[in-house]
Amino acid sequence: MDDITTQFEECLRRHLRSAKPNPINYDVELTQLGLDSMTAVAVLLDMEKTFGIRFPDDMLVEGTFRTAGRLKEAVQLLRERQAS
Amino acid sequence: MTRPLPDQSLGPEWTILELLTRSVVDDSERQMVRDLLLTNTLDWGELLEQSLRHKMLPMLAHHIISAGLRFDVPTTIYMHLESALDWNRCQIEVFRRETVRVAQGLTDRRIRFVVTKGMTFESTLYDSLGSRYMNDIDFMIAPRDREAVMNVMQELGFRPFFEWAKDSRREEISSRLNPDHLPKLAREIDQPGTRIINVDVANSLTWTKSPFDVPVEEALEDSVQQPVPGMPGVSIPCFLPKYQFLFTVLHLFREAWLQKFVDLGTDVGLMKFGDVIRLIDQNRNELTDGELLRTMETHSVTDAVAWVLRHLDETFQTSTLELLALEKHGDEELLASQMQSSAYVSASGQPMRERLQSKARGSLRPVAPTHSGS
Repeated sequence: MDDITTQFEECLRRHLRSAKPNPINYDVELTQLGLDSMTAVAVLLDMEKTFGIRFPDDMLVEGTFRTAGRLKEAVQLLRERQAS
Repeated sequence: MTRPLPDQSLGPEWTILELLTRSVVDDSERQMVRDLLLTNTLDWGELLEQSLRHKMLPMLAHHIISAGLRFDVPTTIYMHLESALDWNRCQIEVFRRETVRVAQGLTDRRIRFVVTKGMTFESTLYDSLGSRYMNDIDFMIAPRDREAVMNVMQELGFRPFFEWAKDSRREEISSRLNPDHLPKLAREIDQPGTRIINVDVANSLTWTKSPFDVPVEEALEDSVQQPVPGMPGVSIPCFLPKYQFLFTVLHLFREAWLQKFVDLGTDVGLMKFGDVIRLIDQNRNELTDGELLRTMETHSVTDAVAWVLRHLDETFQTSTLELLALEKHGDEELLASQMQSSAYVSASGQPMRERLQSKARGSLRPVAPTHSGS
């Protein structure tokens, strides 16, 4: 699988004000980077569009996008599932 | 006791709507509305637009018609107002029948629920005159019954509304991430003027991730039966006044405080403040006997409620804070720390009154967190 880091981070920066000028810390809670209930929807939609994936219902929970690391893992998993 | 009349600094059109919002209760207020409606400088376009924005067109229409102003209002406008009121009354009739149908379905499955907001207010607070605008039917259930209720609603022909939405996937994701409600539900009907019936089923008196809450199970424990106008012998379960009040005020708090609702275009409106004023007027005894205060303290919602009432009093010249003994509560700094955000209404630098009148709320962004204590 290709490295999705660049696209993934661009996607986050489009929506999270506090993520824009700084390197993204994959362990920090995304709420600290400005994620709220509105931007969470926008980020997930953008991830779906950017990577051609669809989050299943059981992944549409807070745990999926608690940190950038968790969200990236979820995106990678869905891309792998789709590829297979 | 006579209330102070509103100042007219925001124009006659706005003053008329403020008076209707808080309910016209005596001859001096009635005369003031009449004089303002008959003033030569009245801008009917502005009045109609603001009425629409605040869901008050049927109420304005009812007032003008019942005040006998048939020959004092421009003919085409009068005819339009008559149509708007007639349509609203028809819509309410349709909603009443549908409410009873859904209520029966839930009752048959022994699911505990209450009907909330417009459907109950229309008859209890607005005298079943058809003047209270409604665009959906609202229910409250316990979180444990979400799946059972969804099944009942689907049997009754409802589908998630996001199937009709402009951006269905956005609606779907938003609905999944905010489990304080079921997905918005809708049913198509063959009724001229009302093609789709929307139903909103909540399972929280606050919202997902709210720092405070009133447990819905507690609120549903005791309900009151409310007769359905025009349907003899038929009644629907509703909240006790104190929970009706708490749900309504906390709803208003959420919409006034959070930026999200400004972005969605569904934040504060006059009609919602009007509901609160009437709820307090009508249930004065039940809301001031100490029980409400105890419940608010138990669930740590006193400050949020007081914050809303302070804005209400400042905007509409009411004295609800004093009536409910909440003058010392509602500290905005404390609330900001609980909410982890400043109040949009303060951060945007607009008093609530100006914010309500503003037609460009979405373009306003908080400039800096302030803790003015409003």
